[in-house]
Amino acid sequence: MIDAARPAEVATTELSLLVDVGSAWTKATLVGRSRGRWRLAAQAAQPTEWGDDELMRTLAAQLAGTADPRLTSRLASLISDAPRIDCHTPTRPGRIALAAISAEVSGRAARRAAEAAGWVVVEAVTADDGRTVAERLSALQSVEVDAWLLAGGFDAHGGEGALEMAGLVAAARGGGRSPVVWAGSAALTERVAALFDRGVLRQVANPRPSAGREDATSLRRHLEALIERLVEPTGVRGLAPVGLRRSVAELARAGGLRVAAVDLGARYATWIVADPAGHGRSRVLAAGGLASPLLTAPGGASRVAHSMAVAVDELAVADALQNLRARPGSLPQTEEELAIVHGAARLLLGELAADGTTLDGIDLLIGAGRTVAAAPTPGQAMQMLLDGVRPLGVTQFAIDAAGALTPLGALGDDEIAEGLGMLRDDLLTPLGAAVVTRGGRSGQPAMRVTVHRTGWPTVGPVEIRAGQVQLLPLGRGQAADLDIELDGGATLGGPRRSRRVRASVIGGTVGLVLDARDIPLVLPRRADDRRAVLASWRDTLGREAALPPGGGA
Amino acid sequence: MNGASLHRIRLPRGTTLTVEVGAQIRPDEVIGLRRGPMLPIRVPVTAPLHCRPSDLDAVLLVRPGSPVAEDDPIARDAGGREVHSPVTGLVVAAMAVDGTLLIAPLGPEEPVIGHIRGRIRGLEEHALVVEVPGARLRGVGGSGDAVHGELMIGVRSPDEELRAAAIDSAATGKILVGGSRASAEALTRARAMGVAGIVLGGVLDKELRDFEAIQRRRQQAGGLTGSFGILLLEGFGKVSIDPQLFGWLTEQHGKMASLVGAERLLYLYDSGRPPMRRALPKVGEWVVAHRRPFQGRTGVLVALLDETHAAPSGIPARSGLVRFEDGRLAPLPLANIEAIVRPSES
Repeated sequence: MIDAARPAEVATTELSLLVDVGSAWTKATLVGRSRGRWRLAAQAAQPTEWGDDELMRTLAAQLAGTADPRLTSRLASLISDAPRIDCHTPTRPGRIALAAISAEVSGRAARRAAEAAGWVVVEAVTADDGRTVAERLSALQSVEVDAWLLAGGFDAHGGEGALEMAGLVAAARGGGRSPVVWAGSAALTERVAALFDRGVLRQVANPRPSAGREDATSLRRHLEALIERLVEPTGVRGLAPVGLRRSVAELARAGGLRVAAVDLGARYATWIVADPAGHGRSRVLAAGGLASPLLTAPGGASRVAHSMAVAVDELAVADALQNLRARPGSLPQTEEELAIVHGAARLLLGELAADGTTLDGIDLLIGAGRTVAAAPTPGQAMQMLLDGVRPLGVTQFAIDAAGALTPLGALGDDEIAEGLGMLRDDLLTPLGAAVVTRGGRSGQPAMRVTVHRTGWPTVGPVEIRAGQVQLLPLGRGQAADLDIELDGGATLGGPRRSRRVRASVIGGTVGLVLDARDIPLVLPRRADDRRAVLASWRDTLGREAALPPGGGA
Repeated sequence: MNGASLHRIRLPRGTTLTVEVGAQIRPDEVIGLRRGPMLPIRVPVTAPLHCRPSDLDAVLLVRPGSPVAEDDPIARDAGGREVHSPVTGLVVAAMAVDGTLLIAPLGPEEPVIGHIRGRIRGLEEHALVVEVPGARLRGVGGSGDAVHGELMIGVRSPDEELRAAAIDSAATGKILVGGSRASAEALTRARAMGVAGIVLGGVLDKELRDFEAIQRRRQQAGGLTGSFGILLLEGFGKVSIDPQLFGWLTEQHGKMASLVGAERLLYLYDSGRPPMRRALPKVGEWVVAHRRPFQGRTGVLVALLDETHAAPSGIPARSGLVRFEDGRLAPLPLANIEAIVRPSES
């Protein structure tokens, strides 16, 4: 961090500060050059409302323990003067009202596109919602929105109902500046446009052009651009979801990997998938974080309680989830509260990753956000990612414990690769790898895995039955080759249905997880049995990895 | 917060303002008038003009979204024959299938009340910005409409539950301060007795949900009148209001207040400054805890721990030692406590 060759009076250091200002917590990472390499020098995370000065003091106090004594008195000024890369959660979500013909077809496709683009749908009216026209009109008139979204009708045959919904929006909107997006039948575009003043309506490709086809890509892109223009007109590179997408895309490009990342925050949840060409696509749910209405809506507490290994009264779960929403900057104090938060996180990660496609072929899955990346133990982080996302196949797992990945994505196009490359060794904390199967016959072997490590005895074959999960030791940085033999109809996804698969993995703080619990997870109906199964899974992933007795099956 | 703060009163679409920027408004003052849409009627257009339904677009003089006054021409054919609107309303749809126009008649003029006292500082799209003189309390939860009324203390101590039996006609039109909790039964009775709003330390999510379900059913049955708001100051569950804040609220008994449940706000007019909350308390300060098992309990922060300390949940965090009022000493994450700042200290 310092250049020892320099005389004391000119002792200095090269520092950079990466800051991610979340809606509840702010994460800061101080990076410094040490012996020619950039390394993480100090990290801090604190409730955002504590403010910047406190953050600087915490970083300086951390650095004081390791910094050259000649710098101690100047640490605060060195940190505050250091080049700073900031990113932040959007200050407020974009609000959109949706009008569509049907809740389940056009409405569903349009809603998914809007939510994936980061909008909050504050009101949705559909021709089949059971309300009268007057009620729909009143509902639309009472909302405060940044934009309106209209959908309905297949392209080949109009869908006159969409015109009625457009009329409702025209009546409710009553002028003003808010734009209207038409994502319905192409045949109706002119007639819909005639309902609004010139320049108000923007037509986008119909996300449901026919009964058998759904493609909301154009709509989502348009809505992403619209939210940026309306809600963050000063620029989007500093937005956390954008920064994470850019970083993950660069990681994928640099490593030639397919990389996925989930960032579960207090308000926002972001899901990124990037391919080896460096193209990243994202789902940004403005209300998908731990304060999500999904958790506090009827049934939310029940779903969380259902996924917990400990018996907690559903009413207590409901209150805890409400408190999580009311005070997102506070921390779970008791084991019970932590179990509730982790249960909620698994549920939300599942919702986030469920974008209609089976998640297979991901090489690396990264967990970000305090709940996952700052879980008390790496095993808990691994379990949240595994149980929530359920990535099919052989996947490496890592967490962004430093919280540096997102701010690095706020760098310029020509700097981002360099920034990520400089911190390559420190950026992510590897948890290990997992082999996740789908299918299999209950109680029957789903896979047999043999682990080969250079210089170590071969382990296995380890037999994993459908419904089981097992953790094998594989230390951080340790490489292993796996021979996986599938059985009983279990699959690892991918185009080939081969029963024998070879894969290379690298270990981490958790190890190697062999997971034949199916996708989605299958749980017993009886509460006691369910909790016993969940407790066994929790204990398996929570304890230190050990070789199976006899080293194999 | 005391002094003046800016509050945004949302105006329903279609509101005609009756006040101007710069005007002083009272909580019960009518700030605008609005006519809400009623069940739409179908108005034949092509049939009276003796043309085909598919010619509807060609003859229409209005389009969906247009406001129309009674007897306004809404369609005209090439020969000059006209169809006139039978009602004043909003055109909702043009139906080319049967050649009709769907018009939602506007209901009787209804007053729009702001429920806030202050001076109008600005006009935004669908909102009025009002400078509110008075103390402002922000809660952590709330629901319901904006309401106003005199503040009334409904319990003797901040940890007492507001019981249904304690709510009588004396509370009609008032904003009632409950204690640590109110049941769905108590909330329902309060609303039935004409209580304007309730301020609570805590409430069980289940009770609130049950209450809201009862209100929805009554609304559907058409038996719901008046507005009602709820403000939650501390958290969900049975949570006391902190004694200092409760003491201050008790001093404000009888003063005019506005409660905006959906925005989690309570304004108190002609009041002194309330005890405020501040994150990151200092040693020696009075604090309130926000997480179980200490949620809502107050004490003094007696020391900061040098190293991060793992809470029973296992999460390591910067922590402090808090001595609660019952003498118990507990290490708590600093993120889970807030300083209570008396007006004289702020």
